[in-house]
Amino acid sequence: MSHSVTLLWWGLAGLTVAGALAVLLVREMMRLMLGLGVFLVGIAGMYAWYGFGLLGVAEVFVYVGGVLVLFLLAITAMGRDSESRAIVRRLDVGAATVSLGLGAVLVLALRGLLPGTSPVAGATVEKTADALLGGLLSHFEIAGVVLLVGLVAALAIVGGGEDR
Amino acid sequence: MLSCALVAAGLYGVMTRRDLVAVLASIEVMLGGATLLLVAYGAAGSTPAAVASAQGYALLVLAVGAAEAAVGIALLVSLIRRGRTRSEDITEVRG
Repeated sequence: MSHSVTLLWWGLAGLTVAGALAVLLVREMMRLMLGLGVFLVGIAGMYAWYGFGLLGVAEVFVYVGGVLVLFLLAITAMGRDSESRAIVRRLDVGAATVSLGLGAVLVLALRGLLPGTSPVAGATVEKTADALLGGLLSHFEIAGVVLLVGLVAALAIVGGGEDR
Repeated sequence: MLSCALVAAGLYGVMTRRDLVAVLASIEVMLGGATLLLVAYGAAGSTPAAVASAQGYALLVLAVGAAEAAVGIALLVSLIRRGRTRSEDITEVRG
């Protein structure tokens, strides 16, 4: 693997981590959304780096173009930065311990299982479509049902609020 | 290692942030870390079919994550109508 390709991976990883830190630490909502956008773009770039171009494009379309815009709409509807006015709490030691513990358990569990990764070729749209409509057909159907249930649940939650 | 750190960081955000938008954003960080791990495993696959399957699985995770975000935002809209957006207020929402 060439030096520039490795450097690109580190750049994308830095972008992703910076976005995630902004989501965790920033109190002002619009800046938090900006951080989430940076995180999602970084993750999409990492997918593309690994050779999963379709997934990276889908991430940008679905999350950056859809979910992030929905979040911004919700913040605009709130009309205020609720958390920016809240008391800024100090580091929650219990939550930090649990999170670090989970991270350590995951690293220990996965250590040795993940070989050194590098970009791959072969994740073409045709092969992915073959997989989704072949061996993964049942998974594809279940995901469709989950999406339908999610849509109905969202409508029920918002509609239920209207009745009252 | 990066994906494990992202999952742990997202969990910290879920436990410490009080605003529902921030909690949802932290869940997205966790989901991104988990999907990144799936992609990394897929990239280590030996055959093109295995790599394509990994991409298929990751696309399904992406779709389910979008559904989760839609339900979360619906909850948020419902709470906004009541003038509350804190994560502990979520017990007030009934469909």
